[in-house]
Amino acid sequence: MNEREKLSEVFESLKEKYQNYQDPWGFNIDSVHKVLEFLLPLYQNYFKVRVFGQENVADRPYMIVSNHSGQIPLDGILIAMAFALEVSPPRVLRAMVERFMAKLPFLGSLSAELGSILGDRQNCEYLLENGESILVFPEGVRGISKSTSDYYKLQKFSAGFFRIALKAQAEILPVAVIGAEEMFPFVYQAKGLAKLLKLPALPLTPIAFPLPSPIDIYIGKPYSLPENLSHEAPESEIREHVYRIEKQIKLMMAKGLKQRRPFFDEVRKPFSDILKQWNSK
Amino acid sequence: MTQKKKKRILVIGIAGGLAQILARLILKKSDEYEILGIDSRKTADCPQINGLEYLTMRYSRGNFENLFRSYDFDIVYHLARISHSAHNSDAITKRLDLNLMGTNRILNLCLRFNISKIIILSTYHVYGALADNSVFLTETAPLRASIHYAELRDVVEMDQICTNWIWKNQKQMETVVLRPCNIIGTQINNAISKFLTSPLTLTPIDYNPTYQFIHEFDMAMVLFRAIKEIPLGVYNIAPDDYIAIQDALKRVEGRKIPFIASLGKIINKSLAPFGMSFPDYFIDYLKYTCLIDNTQIKKCLGNDFCRFNVEETLDLVSMR
Repeated sequence: MNEREKLSEVFESLKEKYQNYQDPWGFNIDSVHKVLEFLLPLYQNYFKVRVFGQENVADRPYMIVSNHSGQIPLDGILIAMAFALEVSPPRVLRAMVERFMAKLPFLGSLSAELGSILGDRQNCEYLLENGESILVFPEGVRGISKSTSDYYKLQKFSAGFFRIALKAQAEILPVAVIGAEEMFPFVYQAKGLAKLLKLPALPLTPIAFPLPSPIDIYIGKPYSLPENLSHEAPESEIREHVYRIEKQIKLMMAKGLKQRRPFFDEVRKPFSDILKQWNSK
Repeated sequence: MTQKKKKRILVIGIAGGLAQILARLILKKSDEYEILGIDSRKTADCPQINGLEYLTMRYSRGNFENLFRSYDFDIVYHLARISHSAHNSDAITKRLDLNLMGTNRILNLCLRFNISKIIILSTYHVYGALADNSVFLTETAPLRASIHYAELRDVVEMDQICTNWIWKNQKQMETVVLRPCNIIGTQINNAISKFLTSPLTLTPIDYNPTYQFIHEFDMAMVLFRAIKEIPLGVYNIAPDDYIAIQDALKRVEGRKIPFIASLGKIINKSLAPFGMSFPDYFIDYLKYTCLIDNTQIKKCLGNDFCRFNVEETLDLVSMR
C-alpha cells in the first residue's frame, strides 16, 4: 500500500468518526483530507519527515505541546500530518492559533476548516471534553520570530496550557521538532510594519517557498498530571511543572540535533521526487 | 358559577411578526389570558383574533402612563426593541428614545403598577461579533458589541438596564431577559431573515463564520413558556445545532453573489444610495462567529425545547 492509499484509508476511518460531529469553528474533515493529500509529497519527499516515539501515543485525547520554529509556522502542519499518518489511532489535531489568524480573510476560515481554533481556555476545554487532541505552542509568536542566533533555543513557555490540561485532566504529550528553524532564513524583524498591519510579529525572509530542510519529529513520553493540584493553584506551583515539560522538550531537542541528518546530504533532488509523486496521482 | 377572571397580558410591539405568532400561541394554548397588543406602527392590518385587542399609540411617557392606569396588567412582554435605524438624527433619536428611555419607563411602570412578570426580548448581538470570541458564550460573558459599533450601544445599554433591574427589584417583580440567536421565519422581518431570503444574496467568500438560527415558532414558544417555566434571570436562546454561513446560504433559495466581506463597508456605502444597504455591524457577523451557550435555558425548558433543527429552520424560511 503506498502512502496515498494509506492516507485515503486513514481518512475513511476519520470520516466515519466525524460523520455526526458538528464543529462550532467550521472544521471540515473533507477539507483536511484534500489539503493533506496535496501536501503529502512535500511531507515525504521534500521535508522527508521522520517521526520517532509513536509508541508513546495511546487512544485518548492529548494536549500536544511542542517547540515552535520557522518564520512561517509550517511545523504545526507537519506535526498534524504526522499524527494523521504515523500515529495509531490516527487523529486530526486541533491547533491553537493566535487571535490575529481569525481576522485574516480567506486564511482565517481556511485554517478553521482545517481544524485550528482560537487559543482560548474555553475553546480548548470544550474540545478536550469532546475527545479531541489539541496542539499547543506555548512559546507563541516568540518561538517563530527568533533571530538566527536563537535557533533551537526554547523560549519561555506561557503557563496557561498547563492550567487547561489540569482542568480538563488531559495528559500532556511533549513534542520536539528538528529542522523547521532552517526552512525560512531569518533576515529582519519588521516590527514597525507588523504594528501597522496589526500582526504580532513580521519576520522577513528572502524566500517565498521553504527550503527543503529535513524534519524530525520526536514524540516524548506523556507528562502525567500531578494529583491534587488544582488548575487554580498559584503560579509558582504551576510553573514548576511547566519547567519540567520545557526541560523534557529541551532534552528531546538536544538528542534530535545530535541525530539530525546533514542538511545538504539529505536535500537531494526533492523537486524531482515530488513531481514524480504528483504525476503518479 | 362565576367565570374566573382572565389575566391580562400587555405585548409591546404587537405589529411585529414574532409578537403576532406569540399572541396567537398564547390564546391557542391557554384560556387564562387576554392580550392587549400595542405598537407605534399601524395595527389596522393585523388579524383580528378573539381575546386580542390592538392599540396604536406613540411610545411616549404620557401614553404609557395612561395605558398602565387604564388597564390592570399581570404580565408584560417587551418586544419593541429597534435594532437598526437610518443614519439620520431623527431616526437615531427615536431609536434611543424607545430602546433606552422607553425601556426604562416600561420597567418603572411595571414596578409602580405591581406587574408580576416582565419578559424582555434582547438579542445575542449584545455579545458582539469579534475575532476572539470563544464558543460558546455564556450569559456572563462581557457584552462587547459596542466596542466597534456605536450603533449597537443602545442595544447593549438596554440589555444592561434590564439585567440590573432583575436583581435590584427581584422581590417586587420577576424580570426575564432573553437573548436569542438569529430568529428567522416567514413572518419575521428582521435583517437576517431579509438577508437570507433576498433574491440576490451576498455570500461572503473570505470568511465563513458559524451561525445559530432559531425558528420564529420555536422562539414564540420560548416566550410563551417564559410565563410559567422561566424564572427571573438572563437566558441565551439557541438550539443545539449550528451551521456555517456559506452552507446556510447554499440551503436557502435565491441567487448568490460572491462578496468579499473584508470590503463590506465600502460595498455597503455604495449600496446606500439605492436603499439596499444593511447595518454596518452586520458585516462583522458575516466575518466572525458569535455562538451562544444554551445550558441555562435547557435547565428550564428541557433539552428538546426547539422543534426545528437548523436545516428545517432554513428550509422553512426559504418558503417566504
